[in-house]
Amino acid sequence: MDIFLQQLANGLTIGSIFALVALGYTMVYGVMKLINFAHGDMVAASAFVGLTIYTQVMGQATSLFAVIAIFFLAAAVMACVGIMLERLAYRPLREAPRLSAVVSALGASLMIQNGIMLIWGPQMRIFPELIPQVYWDINGVVISLIQVIILALSVTLMIALYLFVEKTRMGAAIRASAIDQDAARLMGINVNKVIALIFIIGSSLGAVGGLFIGLYYRGITFNMGWQYGLYAFIAAILGGIGNIPGAMLGGMMLGLFQAFIAGYVSSTWADAFTFILLILILIVRPTGLLGERVAEKV
Amino acid sequence: MAHNELILTDVTKRFGGLTAVDALSFKVKPGQIYGIIGPNGAGKTTVFNCITGIYKSEEGSVNWSGEEIRGLTPYQIVDRGIVRTFQTIRLFSQMSVAENIMSGRHIKSKQSWWHGIIHTPASRRDELENWQKVEEQLDFFQLTEFAATPTGSLPYGIQRRVEMARAMAVDPTLLILDEPAAGLNDNETLVLLDTIFKIRDKGVTVLLIEHDMDMVMEVTDYLTVINFGKKIAEGTPADIQNNPAVIEAYLGSEDDDE
Amino acid sequence: MKNLERFGFPAFIIVMAILPNLLNSRWQAVAITFLIFTVVALSQDIILGKAGMFNMGQALFFGMGAYITAILNSQYGWPLLATIPVAILLPALFGILLSGPIIHLRGDYLLVVTIGFNIVFVQVVQNNLGGITGGPNGIFGLDSISLFGMQLTSQLSVYYFAFAVLLLTLGIMHNLEKSKVGRALHYLREDQLAAESIGINTRVYKIFAFGLGAGIAGLAGTVFATQYSAVSPEAFEFIQSVLFFSIVLVGGSSIPGILLGVFMMFVLPEIFREFATWRFFIFGFAMILAMILRPRGIWPASFGKIPKFLIKESNHGA
Ligand SMILES: Nc1ncnc2c1ncn2[C@@H]1O[C@H](COP(=O)(O)OP(=O)(O)OP(=O)(O)O)[C@@H](O)[C@H]1O
Ligand SMILES: [Mg+2]
Repeated sequence: MDIFLQQLANGLTIGSIFALVALGYTMVYGVMKLINFAHGDMVAASAFVGLTIYTQVMGQATSLFAVIAIFFLAAAVMACVGIMLERLAYRPLREAPRLSAVVSALGASLMIQNGIMLIWGPQMRIFPELIPQVYWDINGVVISLIQVIILALSVTLMIALYLFVEKTRMGAAIRASAIDQDAARLMGINVNKVIALIFIIGSSLGAVGGLFIGLYYRGITFNMGWQYGLYAFIAAILGGIGNIPGAMLGGMMLGLFQAFIAGYVSSTWADAFTFILLILILIVRPTGLLGERVAEKV
Repeated sequence: MAHNELILTDVTKRFGGLTAVDALSFKVKPGQIYGIIGPNGAGKTTVFNCITGIYKSEEGSVNWSGEEIRGLTPYQIVDRGIVRTFQTIRLFSQMSVAENIMSGRHIKSKQSWWHGIIHTPASRRDELENWQKVEEQLDFFQLTEFAATPTGSLPYGIQRRVEMARAMAVDPTLLILDEPAAGLNDNETLVLLDTIFKIRDKGVTVLLIEHDMDMVMEVTDYLTVINFGKKIAEGTPADIQNNPAVIEAYLGSEDDDE
Repeated sequence: MKNLERFGFPAFIIVMAILPNLLNSRWQAVAITFLIFTVVALSQDIILGKAGMFNMGQALFFGMGAYITAILNSQYGWPLLATIPVAILLPALFGILLSGPIIHLRGDYLLVVTIGFNIVFVQVVQNNLGGITGGPNGIFGLDSISLFGMQLTSQLSVYYFAFAVLLLTLGIMHNLEKSKVGRALHYLREDQLAAESIGINTRVYKIFAFGLGAGIAGLAGTVFATQYSAVSPEAFEFIQSVLFFSIVLVGGSSIPGILLGVFMMFVLPEIFREFATWRFFIFGFAMILAMILRPRGIWPASFGKIPKFLIKESNHGA
């Protein structure tokens, strides 16, 4: 029972990180039908950017204000990178064969990942302890302040995003563009603007995810983006790619699944089990849990 | 039970709440040129999709030569001699006209999978024989000069011919054409009529959808008219021309279009 | 273009046949690597380029072939060349069994699942499943090739082994292009529904493409294990699959394009060694640039491979 509750807490923490990152994949896929392979590396980059802001800009301050500022600055930096990425690597390929954009995305991923290595070096760096190490021991189940903050903040951001997409005009434009770009354009929606907005939102949420990874795991490496990116992407697919609540559900589910595998089996097999889960779900539901089946009209 | 007869009985196909084909029955006899007409969105293409295995109808029966073919996959249905063309042309657009027609020879070719790795004298002969069949179709459809041209770069009228040539390369028993005259000019339509008669003279049964009333009256032996997925009339072109229900539904809706 | 193919191809073969005799040992090794990775890229081309399936796990089959050779040689004492049939057939069988249940998945889903296969494979060999893969260190100290009782220890013989495998692969690709199966792959890539509607059981041919691609990659794995007398997990990581995937698409799914792609990804870095840390950064940049400038690849595959007797003068034909 202890293991169960402990892994539940751990699973919810990593699950909410996966979910935040998965949202970036799913929103881009929804509108552009493109796997933004660079997203995972942007998440990693955010942790390094956060590290630099902490040492260079904030003078290593850990006040509440400084922590909030680090989050906002890192998100802003990554949002700019996201817009640049879209403009330079994806927009020129909108009319090109689909696989060309996939290769471009892979290229962008390699560039960002190795850009991090060239700037911050190949060795592991330690992320600052921005949040005090406070732990609660509840009947043998240890929960940290960091976990609580990650979960609370992630859920808040996800609810905010959900409301934004469902209730606002801009959100409606996003949904319309995801269904049919051409029709949306005819209805007077500026699809370029929508895409830019999606990259801003996705990259900022990913940036928060990257900072959470730094806070929670402490050790950050230039190539960790592929690992987290892949997990988050799997989460998006599990939920049904293109579907925003699906990404949240998929992220939480995958986080819990991995935590229980680590708790009851062994973490050395985490990847194998993750992919077996993915394959099984795709065999049963080829478009993910919340994804819709679309029949091709002939 | 008749040989090479296509019998649809109470075929129903729904898309969510919409009943695209509603308890439709008709019978195509061997050697006929059979027409299906109806206003836009009447469900004509959906019927063809149900016959050719692209959709499976929820209810009813599709019987071909005494065999129930509802629920078979498209390639199984081709195997039984039923081949179709598409309303929106679906060619392999980067490939040449000859290669497109060669795809129709796929099921006739006797090569095994391992001939893709190593050729034998028999596989070379088979390859040559099938290309010769392609040559026949190129001649028949007057496409010889375009043999090596990628189909994507050809004018619409020629693409339609390529699609028919590809279907005919299968040596079908029943050829299904979805609006073969759509987008053709008058001259091309005349050539098409001639081609359809020639195909029938080869012993192939033809089932076609057509919008162009004049053409339907000229080319078909027998007609079924559908509207909102239901049959509203059937008969010879002369019967249909005088049927008030048809004039009401079909011509009425054309007025709406304008 | 046509002339280039007619004369360029024999010229390439002749140059490659003479080449190793002009190179020192380091560059011979680079040339062998070039040959091996070309074979893997061609095998990937069958799945991705010809059949159009988003496979991003080709390093799995390559690695499987290499491990089969290494295990049979080091544990069971099989001569290296005797491992070839197993190193082809077992990966081919895996290709068939793995692709069977997932072949209907839409492009991007297939991509992620194949990445998954690759990652699971690496995890399996790293965790030393069954105690035969040697864990993270891999397996080393393999024999050298022996042919008719002769020990062929020189690097030159490995080169010609690799060269023979490349020629075999090119021969298969050539036969494939002129066969029913090969065309079926092209048809289903261009329009799956149209292919089904003309009588092609696309599922069977997709699985065939996976089986064939996996078998050839497995054979390349044997050569790889022979070259290094060793295998280890990191040579078959998912990044390798990404590179093979990109080579095929950047190259344009044609043989010259793929040769060019392999040259850029694996030979150029050897020439510009001082830029080693910049390697992947530059690749990434080059991939984006190549796609923007030439979305169909540097040297796009051409179609229209039809017998000459079908091509007639237009006035003659009418
Ligand atoms: N895959 C599908 N999903 C949902 N609805 C469909 C689908 N295919 C067809 N429909 C609907 O079924 C109805 C019949 O369509 P169908 O294409 O069969 O008409 P049609 O008679 O061929 O018309 P047209 O003359 O325009 O070609 C239409 O209302 C159409 O929107
Ligand atoms: Mg129609």
